[in-house]
Amino acid sequence: MRRLLLLGAAICLVGWLAWRYGGVTPLFGTVTAAMPNPEDGKVANGVYTNDYFSLSYPLPQGWAEGLAGPEPSHLGYYALRTLIPRAEPDATILIAAQDTFFADKPLSNAVEAASDFRRAMSEIEGMTIDREPLQMQIADHLVERVDFSGVGLYRAMFVTEARCHLVSFNLTARDPEQLARLALSVNSLSFAGREDVPSPAPACVKNYAIAENLLWKVEPAIPGSAFTPIPVRITIGVDGKVKHVHVIRATADQRKSIEHALAQWQLRPYAAQGRAVEIETGLVFQSKQMGM
Amino acid sequence: MRKIDFLHSCSIVSIMMLASVSLSGPALAQNAAGTTVNTAAPRGPVDPGRGPVDPGVRGGAPGAGGPLPGLSPLEQAFFNAATGIFTEVETVPTGLGPRFNLDSCGGCHAQPAAGGSSPPTNPQVAAATTQGANNTLPSFITANGPVREARFVSNPDGTPDGGVHDLFVISGRSDAPGCNIQQPNFAAELARGNVIFRIPTPTFGLGLVESVSDSGLQAALAANAQFKSSLGISGRFNHSGNDGTITRFGWKAQNKSLLVFSGEAYNVEMGVTNDAFPNERETNPSCQFNETPESTTPLTTPTKSSGSPAADYAQDIILFTGFMRLLAPPTPASSTIASAATSSTSTVASASDNIASVLSSGSSMTAAPAISAMQSASTARGQQIFSNVGCGACHVPSLTTGKSPVAALTNVTFQPLSDFALHDMGIGLADGISQGNANGREFRTAPLWGVGQRLFFLHDGRTNDLAVAIQQHQSQGSEANEVVENFRLLSANDQQALLNYLRSL
Repeated sequence: MRRLLLLGAAICLVGWLAWRYGGVTPLFGTVTAAMPNPEDGKVANGVYTNDYFSLSYPLPQGWAEGLAGPEPSHLGYYALRTLIPRAEPDATILIAAQDTFFADKPLSNAVEAASDFRRAMSEIEGMTIDREPLQMQIADHLVERVDFSGVGLYRAMFVTEARCHLVSFNLTARDPEQLARLALSVNSLSFAGREDVPSPAPACVKNYAIAENLLWKVEPAIPGSAFTPIPVRITIGVDGKVKHVHVIRATADQRKSIEHALAQWQLRPYAAQGRAVEIETGLVFQSKQMGM
Repeated sequence: MRKIDFLHSCSIVSIMMLASVSLSGPALAQNAAGTTVNTAAPRGPVDPGRGPVDPGVRGGAPGAGGPLPGLSPLEQAFFNAATGIFTEVETVPTGLGPRFNLDSCGGCHAQPAAGGSSPPTNPQVAAATTQGANNTLPSFITANGPVREARFVSNPDGTPDGGVHDLFVISGRSDAPGCNIQQPNFAAELARGNVIFRIPTPTFGLGLVESVSDSGLQAALAANAQFKSSLGISGRFNHSGNDGTITRFGWKAQNKSLLVFSGEAYNVEMGVTNDAFPNERETNPSCQFNETPESTTPLTTPTKSSGSPAADYAQDIILFTGFMRLLAPPTPASSTIASAATSSTSTVASASDNIASVLSSGSSMTAAPAISAMQSASTARGQQIFSNVGCGACHVPSLTTGKSPVAALTNVTFQPLSDFALHDMGIGLADGISQGNANGREFRTAPLWGVGQRLFFLHDGRTNDLAVAIQQHQSQGSEANEVVENFRLLSANDQQALLNYLRSL
């Protein structure tokens, strides 16, 4: 009997954990199966790991996590992690990502992003571009680097593309030598992923969940605030079913409604080289309640 | 016994769930004076004991309170008439109460001139007992503290409240015989951490803000998206539930227009029903003394004789709207103007053009006194720092109006130092109140024009120290965290220069 009770408690706990972190939609099956999302990265044992991007970054010696940033935005922007030195604050690192499916500005790759960033920085009064966009290869990824400075702060932005996101490392230091040391740490980036996380990641295909690919669709009844776009990423399995839903920014009620509807969608499986493959795509929901 | 074991097991799980939920909410607490305190403070003050010093409220004549330059004689007459109504003190026969926070618009919006924000002496202290009223002063209202309104986060049953609970009642006043309603029990609500505060927002230059198109605001928000993305900043607009357009007034940008802002404040803050909000919030029959709406548009004969035919036929909230619409923006200190005028960048050059045009217009505005060359250099440096560290990513320097029926509001480039968008300010500033699309942690970027002559900062007036206000932007979940980190990385001189610049505005 005691075992049964312990089992019951364990079920309670697992159920709650799934509800709290997984957003399970029980009625129509699990559509948020244990697949990572961009914001799920963490720092452990001096390493930042992000299973969604298969990314790992050993923190510089003596560094730790800073304060958490805001929730993902309605345009698919993530302040993934802030890193700071444990001792005297003389530098910071912000790891960020922008989902290219939902960005205001359609920048699709690191070269475009670096060029646009360089232009934007040059327009700020007193900001100097210290290094024009420089292309490099880190862990089989094309990475663009731009260095700039102003008012005694020395900064560098490294940007690369992963799963239709622009992932950036934004370094700020009090002096150029410190910036150079931090920049070296970016060379330790790895996109190999962990052995226990499924790979490779599904291909990302923009705007796949459109009418011509939809075989069955249920519209979510989106409650609450109107006029704010709700960006959603879904993974579509080889059978055309929605395998994973990531409602990037919404209220809890909106999230539930969207997950519930998407669990019922059936799409035409995506075909590559004559065979069905798993993909991820994005779509935007919006509630427009007004008038009579 | 075994039943108890099972209950314990699930209770532990429940406790864990509750703990998780409560930890994810705003970490607010009230101290004895009712001041909201961040219980999840950032990692220490900016630089304790050695940090920059807020120069304090800029002295000299108020660089605000006059009309926009270039008004026609009839517009000027309307503004003059409206100013008188804005500063008028209401009594019960003219509509005050039954519940209210103060008896005059101009009482709250007073610093450094009519239309501004909270004055140095809090008029709510005297209002508590005016005309024999027997109100108890809540602990969070003090003689030298900010004017405050109070909102309750939740109802007794735990459902969200969010509404304004007026501080005072008209019970006991000589002009309200028989009314005996009671004030809310603020002490009890404070004890259960259920009270948040808001201070008055300045209204200078709001006609310009109202005259920017939605596309103009959207373009400004998108223009520096790349810079913002390197700082952890995003932002979004609040929208009207009626027509879907961007709302822009109030601490959470919850009000669509100056007319809605006027009508709501007249009823909520002063208890005066009007054509926009025609019904009393407090319906106790012993406290109803007037026909409603108490302020309404005259349909037959004008109720005033002011020299402005339009004002004579206007109800009060139209006059408030007109006053705010025609009110000039605050004038920065002359050193800021000088530095702007010598700048070579197009953005700042357009700013200086506008300021120069304001100063050369012959308006009644008086620029604050010139400051020394050393201060001027520091201020100019501070302006550059403001942009470089990322303050200007949200407090955007410049917007341009579209076409307006008022020529003085048409195609004007102005410097509100705000994008009028909502940003997540983290658990340190969170008030747990949702308004429109804004959630409990989001606030509109506070426009910084005129901040040099403001006394209290942040939505609840928790500090009168700009350095503390900057520090308070940083907490778990805030979009401003990286910018505050950048501020920390600055040299002491540069931190000081930034504060000097802010006090020059």
